[in-house]
Parts: sequence; structure tokens; C-alpha cells
Amino acid sequence: MSELASAAPGATATTPTRPLLEVRGLSVAYGAIEAIRDITFSVQAGQIVSLIGANGAGKTTTLRTISGLLRPKRGEILFEGRPIHTQPAHAILGMGVAHCPEGRRLFPRMTVEENLQLGAYTRSDDGVAEDMERVYELFPVLGERRGNKAGLFSGGEQQMLAIGRAMMSRPRLLMLDEPSMGLSPIMTQRIFDTIRNLRDLGTTVLLVEQNALAALAQSDYAFVVDLGRTTLEGTGHELLADQRVRDAYLGES
Amino acid sequence: MKAMARPLIIVGSIVVIIGALLPWATFVLNDGPYPDKATLEFFDAPFGLSSFRLYLEILGLAGLVFCFVPLRDKIRVLKAVGWGALGVALINTLFIIGDGGGFGAVTVADGVTAFGGIAAVIGAAVLLYGAFQLPAEPKVVINPKLPFWAEWLILLVAFVALLLLITETLTAGGHSGVSDPYIGPLFLSYLSAAGALLGVLWAVGVTKWISDMSERHRIFSIVVLVACAVAVPFTSLGNDYWMTITANIGVYAATAIGLNIVVGLAGLLDLGYVAFMGIGAFVAANLSGAVAAEFGIRLPFLLAAIVAGIVAGLFGAIVGSPTLRVRGDYLAIVTLAFGEIFVRVSQNNIGGLTGGSNAIPNIPDLSLFGTGFNDSLTIGGVQLPSGVLYYFLIVVLVALVMFVFGNLKNSRIGRAWIAIREDEDVARAMGVKTGKLKILAFMTGATLAGLAGAVFAHKLATASYDSFQFNQSVTLLAAVILGGMGTIPGAVLGAALLFVLPEELRQFSDYRLLFFGLALVVIMRFRPQGLIADRHRRAELADQDVTGESLDDTVIKEPVAVAGAKEAGA
Amino acid sequence: MGTLLQQIANGLIFGGLIAMVALGYTMVYGIIQLINFAHGEIFMTGAFGGLAVYSWVLPPAAQQIWYVALPAMLVGGAIVSVVVALLMERFAYRPLRNAPRLAPLITALGVSVFLQELVRIFFPGASSAVPFPNAFITAPLHIGSITIPASGLLMLIVSVVLSIVLETYVNGSRMGRAMRATAQDPDTARLMGINPDRVIVLTFAIGAVLAGVGGVLYGTYIHNVDPYIGFQNGLFAFAAAVLGGIGSIRGAVIGAFVIGLIKNLADIYLPGGTAYDYVWIFILLIAVLVFRPQGLFGEAERVRA
Repeated sequence: MSELASAAPGATATTPTRPLLEVRGLSVAYGAIEAIRDITFSVQAGQIVSLIGANGAGKTTTLRTISGLLRPKRGEILFEGRPIHTQPAHAILGMGVAHCPEGRRLFPRMTVEENLQLGAYTRSDDGVAEDMERVYELFPVLGERRGNKAGLFSGGEQQMLAIGRAMMSRPRLLMLDEPSMGLSPIMTQRIFDTIRNLRDLGTTVLLVEQNALAALAQSDYAFVVDLGRTTLEGTGHELLADQRVRDAYLGES
Repeated sequence: MKAMARPLIIVGSIVVIIGALLPWATFVLNDGPYPDKATLEFFDAPFGLSSFRLYLEILGLAGLVFCFVPLRDKIRVLKAVGWGALGVALINTLFIIGDGGGFGAVTVADGVTAFGGIAAVIGAAVLLYGAFQLPAEPKVVINPKLPFWAEWLILLVAFVALLLLITETLTAGGHSGVSDPYIGPLFLSYLSAAGALLGVLWAVGVTKWISDMSERHRIFSIVVLVACAVAVPFTSLGNDYWMTITANIGVYAATAIGLNIVVGLAGLLDLGYVAFMGIGAFVAANLSGAVAAEFGIRLPFLLAAIVAGIVAGLFGAIVGSPTLRVRGDYLAIVTLAFGEIFVRVSQNNIGGLTGGSNAIPNIPDLSLFGTGFNDSLTIGGVQLPSGVLYYFLIVVLVALVMFVFGNLKNSRIGRAWIAIREDEDVARAMGVKTGKLKILAFMTGATLAGLAGAVFAHKLATASYDSFQFNQSVTLLAAVILGGMGTIPGAVLGAALLFVLPEELRQFSDYRLLFFGLALVVIMRFRPQGLIADRHRRAELADQDVTGESLDDTVIKEPVAVAGAKEAGA
Repeated sequence: MGTLLQQIANGLIFGGLIAMVALGYTMVYGIIQLINFAHGEIFMTGAFGGLAVYSWVLPPAAQQIWYVALPAMLVGGAIVSVVVALLMERFAYRPLRNAPRLAPLITALGVSVFLQELVRIFFPGASSAVPFPNAFITAPLHIGSITIPASGLLMLIVSVVLSIVLETYVNGSRMGRAMRATAQDPDTARLMGINPDRVIVLTFAIGAVLAGVGGVLYGTYIHNVDPYIGFQNGLFAFAAAVLGGIGSIRGAVIGAFVIGLIKNLADIYLPGGTAYDYVWIFILLIAVLVFRPQGLFGEAERVRA
């Protein structure tokens, strides 16, 4: 995926540039119930940014709204300065935002290869086959069993495939929802290594995690979401050190 | 645009008033002028305002008056007036175009001009457009507490007024079975005007007030309602023709209420429902002593009807039993398949029970104290039309079915059905015995249909498979949906509309099913809760009204997303 | 023995017809979980579309040459079917995409009745059966002891070929993948950049092409059409789709042949004969729905509430 790195030169630039993604005053309601209320945060290019918070805090809803699966009631979402919250989901992917949903959501009755091809659905360039080989290089287990049905793989392997599938669209922003869910600690570590690797190759990552400790350790920056709004923010290390975060999310007293 | 509302309404109203006074047609029909002399001869009798012209004058004046009179919720009132005026104007203009053979009939032909129709249509459209520009207001609620006798009096007046309105509607144009070439437009014009009246009453909160009052005095309301139903033969509907029509409406209304238990309360779509009515009809026919019947026995009607209900109920349980395993769409198909099997089997005269294509004809007339149900009757010097006893029998039937429905709906069973309808898994988790209750819903609905079928067979004096085809099931379903799922008045209104309209609009009888089909599509799109919405159901079917946000079509809302997540998690 | 073989041949031909309609049911259900009741009417409008092309488009000289007339009718029928299906999808079903499940089902019922009546009232002469031109080789084929009309054999061949083409397309092409993805998980398919509306429109269109072609071939085989052919054949086709496991293309085709064979064998070998063949099929349909709702060949996870 070296080509992707060149797509975002100066990934760790220090000059204050416009954030890759800005979410401003976003509210989303299911019927009469507001799942998120007035949430505001931004994601700088080239970083891993986490949203952490308890179950039901509205993290997943936020991602689903960014990727266009849900419509906001109020507020706006800017990607590279352009509003995307009025666009349908399939168009948002084309703009460079890939969403790897909670629970992986592979197409279980399709092969690994077909899943990856679907990830590249919007692309018509010649690089698809190459990119697919890169995914197989990154995750050899997928390459070995490319003709097998996705539903037959283990949780960790499925997560790899889900990430690989999301990368097939060559996104500038990759959103991952609970990538460590249901995985063993070793597998979790492998997945986070991969995420860091992708960041180093130039992909910006927006990570949603309940596993706050693991997420904060990997993140360049993070926001704490509580009851549908952001309550705290800082670099991963700052938040790891913050007593309030430790009390609430890291199971310490 | 808001500032333009009032001038638009005023201009529209005045144009409507003027349009109504202008000539409407450039021709004179061979068999006399278009109703109300909508020709140039109109000015021969300048004050001869009647029928649709009268309605338009009233609606135009109402537009002017309501525009100036201080009113709460002006927008809804004026919208009702506007829709009514547009309806009357459009209907008549279109008819003149149709009968006169083209646009010449409403513009200029043979040196004669007639722009009344076009002026009225434009005026009404402007009035309506103006009404839409008015600021939205919260719904008016009026609920003055009155002493009970005053409320009773108001209810009495309201029901009697309703009765008169209905009889007037049905006989609009002096119709009593004679074929009048103008019955269609006359009836529809009246319907539009009556609709506007009801719309205005609804907008100012009167209908809600009266319905709340009738809730408070339920028993009294039922008594008055039954009395009104019994009074029908004494009104202008008291002739052979209308006795037959109202009896038919009654039978179908009773069946529709039964279907409403299955579809409206329990949420199980039944596409073969009319088969149960057919089973009831054939059972009653076979036990009636008709010559063609398989059994040469004649049971008293009451007993035969009960047997018919029981047999139909048993079949209901059988057809309903797949509900233990099958849900939703698949269940609808099971019922549809059952309905088709019934039609095929009875067409083939299975076991000699159905008479096949010969039907079972000549079912003996019922009689009470020596008076045949098809004979006319004299009570206290008033000559009642023939068939009046059937009419009364059917009033009893409808009352019985309403009673069953009303009691079930407000019982534990009814609440359990509603729970199943809303979410079967949750209902089961809460300890509702879903399987038993679903079969019970089918059984109850089928029993009521069987009873209705027994009455139907006697009323018609024949039982033929042809009366119980798929189209009848669709019509009944349309009645339930049009009227409003889960409500009694809805089912009655739906049945009445779907079985009266074809009578009144016989010149279009060929288009009947076309309109049914279209109506189903349009209702599901714009008013899925039906004309008279059930309070529980309203929230469920009209999502968008609740949240008030406009979601784009491709956005999948939470319930779908949750279902998807469940599936992926499993 | 001769009778048995003849009935099997007739059953296969009828199965071929039903397969072309069943594929539309199964695909639409697979994508949006809608029993498109009106799909039978798409078949019917296809037949009338072909008839219209023959009567009003083709010059008399061309009417006589089957290899000119028949392709023209097939194309015309397919176009009419596609147009009707897309209008139906756009104006009746799409606005209800997120409505409670009863709503689209009732709408489908309404569309079905509406289309039947539309054709009956406005197609000249369609208030009763309309004779359908003989647009193919009239001489029947004799194979051993059995006799099959050439048009029947054509129907069978076209049906099998179209089914194979469709299966290949859905399994092999990019749009086919998009269709399967949307069927398996619509939300995630959108996250792949798949426009669900396009997939749904394509699904309706493919189903309509098959149904339209089926309608025209039905006309040439039976020699007359009426506005109600869609209802009964549609029911058989739906039964076939359910039998084979709704959502499965191969299942629908196999289910259709099973239905075709049962119907024709029931005519001879089951009590009641031809008068009761429909009854047996509906009883089979109910039995499958009750005891094996995922169909004979379907996967259990296909079943939805």
C-alpha cells in the first residue's frame, strides 16, 4: 500500500492545516430519541483518532452518520472542507471515506476474493488486482484461502478481511468500529499493529472503541463521548493519564 | 408568500362564486339540459341555484367569510373548503368534457361560450393554494364540560344529523335504483361538498369533541346508533332498492369487521378471508332445505347460522395453524393458497356440497311469525319496503359483530393481539402465548365471516362459488385498509364506501376494480392508517408524522438496522 | 408409458414457462424482501406487449415470417414489461422502502389488480381472451411416442438458456456481485459504495425481461391471452420460488420444473384429474411453507419473518 502513502504526503505535518474531517454540532435521532446530541470533533490528516466511551454513548451512531447510513437532525459533517452529510452513503465512499462497521459485517456467503472485489466496487482503475495482492501480503491467511466463503473464517481473520475490504477503496479516511470486539488479546494486538501500519502508510484512521485502554495507547488524539456528546479530548497519552478517564473507563478506582 | 394568502383566498373565492353563476356547457343534451341547466339557458332562471352550483356558491362564500372571521386553525378550515370546491368544480367540468365530447364543451363551440367550469376550477385551485400559504397552527381542541343531558342531546342531534347526511348522500339526485345518467356527477358533487363540511367541522374541533363525548357515553351512543340504523327504512332510503343495497353493505361490513380482527388487531394478513364467508354460506345453504342441497334437512335459521359459524371457525383454526410456524408474507401466501383451493374445490362441486357452477339456488326465504323476510311489512300504518326484515337481521348481525370486536379489542386477548402485531418476539418474551392467540384470531374472524355468510346465502337465496373469489377478498381488505385498520367505524365506512360507490357510479362500474387497485396503492402511500385511524396504530404507521423529519428514501431507519445487526450477530 | 412421457414433456415445458416468471419473484424477494404480487402482471403485460407489436407495429409481410416477427415481439414484450416494472418500482414500492411490511405487500396487491384492469379495459378486445398469433413454426415435433409443439420446445430452451445466463451474470459480474451483496446485507453494501436504488432497479428490470419474454412465448404456445394469465401463473411461479428456496436462482428454476411436472402428472394420475391439479399445487405450496419455509434447496438462514 505504498501508493497510499504518497497520497497524503507529510502525514505528520505540524503546520495547522484544515482537519481532514470536521463534525460540528451533530445531532441524530431515532424517532423521538436523540442518540447523539450536539457532538463536535475533528480528525487531523495522518493521525489515528479515537472516540471512546461507554456502550450506548453514541459512538457507532456517529460513524454511521458520517458514512451516510443515517441522516443528522442538526449539525454538519465536513470532509476535506466539503459538506458530506447530505450525500448518500454510496457517494460518501467515493469521496474517500471507508467505514468498517461494527461486527465486521462481511458478506458471509461470498468468498474472500469477492468481498475484496466489493470493497473496490466504486473503482474502475487497473490497480484493483494489485491492491488485492497487497491485502494478501498484509494478511497471508486471506491469500491462502481466497476462494473460501468469508463466513467460515475466525473472528480475527474476519476482522482482517473487513479492514482489507475497507482499504480496497483506497480511502483517505478509514473508520473502524470496534475492531477488537470478540478478539483474543494477541489478535487484538495484531489488529492494532495493522492499524498503526496503515496510519504510517498515510491513511487517516477514526477509531471507535470500547476497549479504551488499547485504543488510547494507539491513538494520536482521542475524544471521550458520553451520553451523546464529547466531554473530554486530548492526545492518547494525556487521556490515559487523566484521572477522570481512568475512573470512568479503565476500571480503576 | 404568506402575505399573499389572504388576497389569493379572496380572489379564489370570488372566482368560484362567479364561475358557479356562468354557463358551464356549450351544448344542450338531447334528454334535457345538463343537471341544473348548465347551459346558456341558465340565465332564463337566474335564481334557480341548486345542486353543484349551490354547493359552489356556498363554498365560495364560506371561503370569503372564513377569510375574514377570526378563527383558530384557519389553515385547516380553508383547506377543507378549497378541496371541496376543487372537487365539485373538477368533477362537473370533467363530466361535461366527457359527455360533450371534448374541450369545446367547456369553452367555445358553435359560437356559444361557457367558461363556468374552467373559472370554478381555477378559482378553487387559487383558493386552495392560498389556504396552503396560511401559517400552520396547532390542532384546535374544544372540550367544554356540559351536564350529561346536554351532552346526550348533542350526541342525539349529531347522530341524527349523521343519519340524514348519509341518507342524503345516498339519494343525492333523487336516486332510487332508476338509472339516471347524471347520478355519477351529482353524487360525487354532493360527496365533495359533504366532505368539505366534515372537514370544516373536523378543523374547528367539533368531530373530535363529539367523538370524545360518545366515548364518555358509550352505551347511550350505541343505543342511538342502533336506533338510527333501525330508523333507516323509515327515511328516504325506505325502498326495495336501498334495502337490498344497505343489506349488502351490512353483510360486507360485518365480514370486514371480522377481517379487521385478523388484520387490524392481530396484524396477520389474510388474503383468502372471503373463503370463510363462502364456507358459512355453503353450510347454511346445505342446511336450509334447498332442493339442490346435499342434505335433505332443514334446520331453523338460527341453528344453521351457528353451525355455519362453527364450521367456518374450525376451518379458520386449520388455516390459522400454520401461523405457529409461518410468519408475515409467507402466512399471507398460505391464506391466499387456501382461498384459491376453496374456490377450485367449490367450483368442482366437491362432495356435491357446493353445487359447482350451478351453485345452490332457491334457498328458501326466512320467515318470522309467518312473514317472509322478503315480504314488505306494515308497522303502525307505515308501509315498509320488502326485504326490510333482512335489513333488520343484518343490523343485528353487524351489531353482534361490533359487540364481539369491541369487547375483544379492549380485553386481555385484544391487548395481546396488539402486542403480537407490534412485535411478536417481544410479545412472546413477555409471556403472551402467541401461537394460541394467533389461531384464536383466525378462528374468531372466520366464525364471524361464517355467520355473515349464512345470512348472505339466505338474503341472496343462492350460494355460488363465484361470490367468494380472490377479488372479493381484495375488496374486503381494501375496505378494512381504506376505513382504518383496527377500528370499527373504519371497517363500516370502508365497506360502505367500497360497496356504495359502485352502485352510485354504475356508469363507471367497469372501472371499479381499477380504482380499487389504485386506491390501495395511493392509500398505502399517503394515508396508510386509513380514513379513521386507530390511536395505537397511528403512531406505528405514520413514522414521519411523529419525528417530523424528512428522511431521504435510501436511509434505512433504526428498526431495519437493528434487524440487520441481529442477523449478523447470529 | 407413452402417456407418462408425454405428461413429463408437457410438465417440463410448463416448468420452463413458470421458471421465467419465478426468477423475477425470487430476485426481487432476495433484494428487498417484497413478495411482488404484481410480478405475474408483468408477465401478462409482456404477452400483451408482444401482441401489440405484432398487431400494430409489424407490417403484414413481416407478420408471416416467424424469425422476424417473433424476435420483434419478444423485444417489444420485454420492453413493455420493463417499463411497467420500473414505473411500478419507482412510484409504488420505492416510497414505501422503509414502511411497515404490510404496506408494500398491500401495495403490490393493488398494483396487481390495477394492471389487470388497465389491460382489460384499455387493450382492444381484452375483456375476454384475445387470440395470440402463431408466431413460430406450427408443425409439432414427434419424438418417439410423444408430440411437442415447436413453440413449447422453444419455451423450454429459452427458459433454460436465460436461467443459465442469469446465474452466470449474478455470480460473475460486478453488478451481479452488487446484487448479491445487497441481498445479504443492504447496509454494508451501501458502505461498499453500492447504490441500492440502482441495484433494485436492475433487479426489477431483469425480472421483467424474463417475465416479458415468458409472456410472449406463453402466447405463442397457448395461442390466446387474457388479462388474468398473470394471476394464476404468477401464483405458480411464486410457489416455485418458495419451493426452491426464495432468493435462490437455481432453486426457483428447479422449483418451477417440479411444479410443472406435478401439475401435468396430477392431471392424469391424481384423483380429480385436471379439475384438481391447481389444488394439489396449492396444497404442496402450503406444505412447503409450513414444513420447510426455506424451500427444498434453500439455506436456512434465508428465512425471514
